[in-house]
Amino acid sequence: MNGKKTATYILIAFLAFLILCPLISIFAEAIFQDGHFSISNAVATITESENAKMIGSSLLLGVLVVIVSSIIALPLAYLFSRTTLARYRFFDIIFMIPFMTPPYIASMGWILFMQKRGLMQQLFPDLSFISDLFFSLAGLVLVMSFHVFPFMMTMMKNAMLSVPSSLDEAGAVLGAPFTVRIRKLLMPLLTGNYAIGALLVFVKTISEYGTPSTLGRRIGFDVFTTDIHRYATVAPIEFGKSASLASVLVGICLLIWLMQNYITMRKTYSLVGGKGGAVRLRKLSRPAFIAALAFIAIAVFFSMIIPLFSVTISSLIKLRGYGMRAGNYTIANYINVFTEDKQGVNAFLVSIFLAVSSATIASILGTIAVTISRINGKNLRKTIEGISLLPEMLPSIVLVLGIMLFYNSIYKMIPIYGTIWIMVLSYVVLFLPYTVQYVTSSYSQISPSLVAAGRISGGTPGYVFLHITLPLISRGIMSGWMMTFIIAFRELVTPSLIAPTNTLTVSTYINRQFEQGSVGKGMAMAVICILFSTVSLLILNKAILREKH
Amino acid sequence: MKKAIIVLTLLLSVLSLSAADNGIVTVYMPSPAGLANKLAADFEAKTGIEVRTFQGTTGEILARLETEKANPVADVVILASWSDGLSMKNSGQLESYVPKNADKMVPGWIDSDSTLFGYSASAVGVIYNTLIYTELNADWAELADSQYKNDIAIPDPELSGACKDFVSGYVNAFGWDTFEALAENGMIVPGANKAALEAVTTGEVGILLAGVDYNAYSSIAKGEPLAIYYPASGTVVNPRPAMIMKAAPDMDNAKAFIDYLLSDDAQKMVTDAYLLPGRTDIEYSNRSTLDQIPQIECDWDAMMAIASDSAARINELCER
Repeated sequence: MNGKKTATYILIAFLAFLILCPLISIFAEAIFQDGHFSISNAVATITESENAKMIGSSLLLGVLVVIVSSIIALPLAYLFSRTTLARYRFFDIIFMIPFMTPPYIASMGWILFMQKRGLMQQLFPDLSFISDLFFSLAGLVLVMSFHVFPFMMTMMKNAMLSVPSSLDEAGAVLGAPFTVRIRKLLMPLLTGNYAIGALLVFVKTISEYGTPSTLGRRIGFDVFTTDIHRYATVAPIEFGKSASLASVLVGICLLIWLMQNYITMRKTYSLVGGKGGAVRLRKLSRPAFIAALAFIAIAVFFSMIIPLFSVTISSLIKLRGYGMRAGNYTIANYINVFTEDKQGVNAFLVSIFLAVSSATIASILGTIAVTISRINGKNLRKTIEGISLLPEMLPSIVLVLGIMLFYNSIYKMIPIYGTIWIMVLSYVVLFLPYTVQYVTSSYSQISPSLVAAGRISGGTPGYVFLHITLPLISRGIMSGWMMTFIIAFRELVTPSLIAPTNTLTVSTYINRQFEQGSVGKGMAMAVICILFSTVSLLILNKAILREKH
Repeated sequence: MKKAIIVLTLLLSVLSLSAADNGIVTVYMPSPAGLANKLAADFEAKTGIEVRTFQGTTGEILARLETEKANPVADVVILASWSDGLSMKNSGQLESYVPKNADKMVPGWIDSDSTLFGYSASAVGVIYNTLIYTELNADWAELADSQYKNDIAIPDPELSGACKDFVSGYVNAFGWDTFEALAENGMIVPGANKAALEAVTTGEVGILLAGVDYNAYSSIAKGEPLAIYYPASGTVVNPRPAMIMKAAPDMDNAKAFIDYLLSDDAQKMVTDAYLLPGRTDIEYSNRSTLDQIPQIECDWDAMMAIASDSAARINELCER
């Protein structure tokens, strides 16, 4: 089958061009100086005392966020998997909210709440001492942990669900008290999963740009992402330095993914399968139940209510100088976003355009990639998967910087730098892994006998694909499309690095209004953005469910 | 569903590609965004030339120009810092042109080679929150007094061109003592002009030094609890230079845009935005006039030489 080979190699070449070339541009920029190979510049950048300090603080931030988000996530995971609280499914939806709130919006909410004479001090003047404590590393760690903990919670919850209660009962029968059973039974079984979750949170934290660029900047706490951004956008521009730091960050991320792979192979236990796998839910005693509810309430209060309250109130305040007081509320900010000038409407349209076009292109490309990879042998398949999942393993700021450098250098051949199309391209690269993962998982649910039946009945491969495979994977494609649409709609890193002139997106509009325009208008757009993402999630969810019937 | 998506995609791509009839002019300009948008819309309506703008702080605009050196995009660049304009001229990036109405401009707001056109100007002053201080008229140095401890802020001079020119002008005339004392007194740097104004509006600090005046006037007009004054020892009035790039892809449109900036209508919009007009024959009454503002003697060449380092020094001093 020669056609198959050709298609495969074209696909690999295309993916490599799309994803690997930008990455290579970064390394090249870091080690070539005026056309000469010289690693000394990169080394000099990294060891510059300021940058060495920044690398140290990035890693410290990562570690602290892992610790704090564990403290929040582990008890919740236990409560929602092994106690009767697991029956309340609406908690699953509630803990989606931090995910629906982009980190830059949440941290703006926190700033408005905590700043001197801000919302908190207007409500509780006596608490003003907290403000000084908040505008420090501690506050940054808290805000980032409150954003990222649902990831760890979900992972640990699923892990705990796979530990059958029979093991726990056996321990109890043999006389081990509750604390011993947690320590000697549950914990050893879950260390592997926890290690993976912790590494994931660590990578997410050091890759995050939104919170450090808003709250971190406020307290003068520089990390990888903000320094990479600064060297690439504020005069004097130093792409070499930016690229050197990006290379180090890539190295750290890849190292962590290797560690995670190693742990997955060595330290996770196969607990699913066999008899007696059921989890029996523990009924909590009354005081324990109340304590558990209080813990959940605190987590909800800090991770959702404070930032959302603060953003919403700020969007409704008329004169910022008078703060929260009767008569100083208005909906004018919402009207002004769309009527005062064309910027608000345009930002909204541009974001929708980018979200729709990138989700559609990524879905098509992802489906093609997975389909071709599946008709190939193991090695080629791994190659295709490896390249197309790479963007998920790397911080988006690194990829965007790479795209910026690469397309600037080939401007003569492909003149898309400085147009909206480079943004579409960047979004597709960033979000391709989502569609690839969704399509892969729906492929794995198709029994090979279905395809075989179609072929035996005389269908050509094309016919079988169109009439059997495609309808079966369409739900996966749609889910991937939906995820991409929602995340792309509020993407911040790409537009803040390579948006062409005249082009604001929802995220850069909010940022710009918050930093240099009207905070009220910025927060009004933020509320609209959160509502829009939530509503589109609900609508698309419904549409997919209907298609299923 | 799929069809709707395709239609939407096509529609938006058409939207984003539509070009005007008489070509385009690409203008990079700093805040206020409202003024920038109005000037662009009016110019478009009058000439049919599409205006593409990039709006950012002086720092962001300079960075963008640097990034695009290989593939120039900008025709006209407007900055909020005269000294940054001079350094662009010194590096040979600017085209010389004698615009209409050049003779009516404020003396000194057009350079000897006719490359920098100060079509508007701002001054920096002391802006204070009237809910915290009912009356204030302290001079710059007096704000280092302990009664204002931890209640003073300054815009980031590396982001705000107006503040940068003030710092270099003040240091050039009086040295570093005042700023060192202010930093010692707990002065913070909340961000660019608007972020700094926000800090004094919400009362995060009571006093903002070197805040741009037009921002304050427009907030006061809205009813925010703010007031502004120009300290007695003087401030820097800084013309905001509009410049034509030598590498402008649309040179004729660039020149037309400069002519437009000095026209009656554009100058009227400038004063409506609470800026000082670039022409002497334009009347305005919504703010302090040029002759009412006490000024520091400005040696722009000397200031340009120290501007960037001084701006960085302020940030170092105020870092806690």
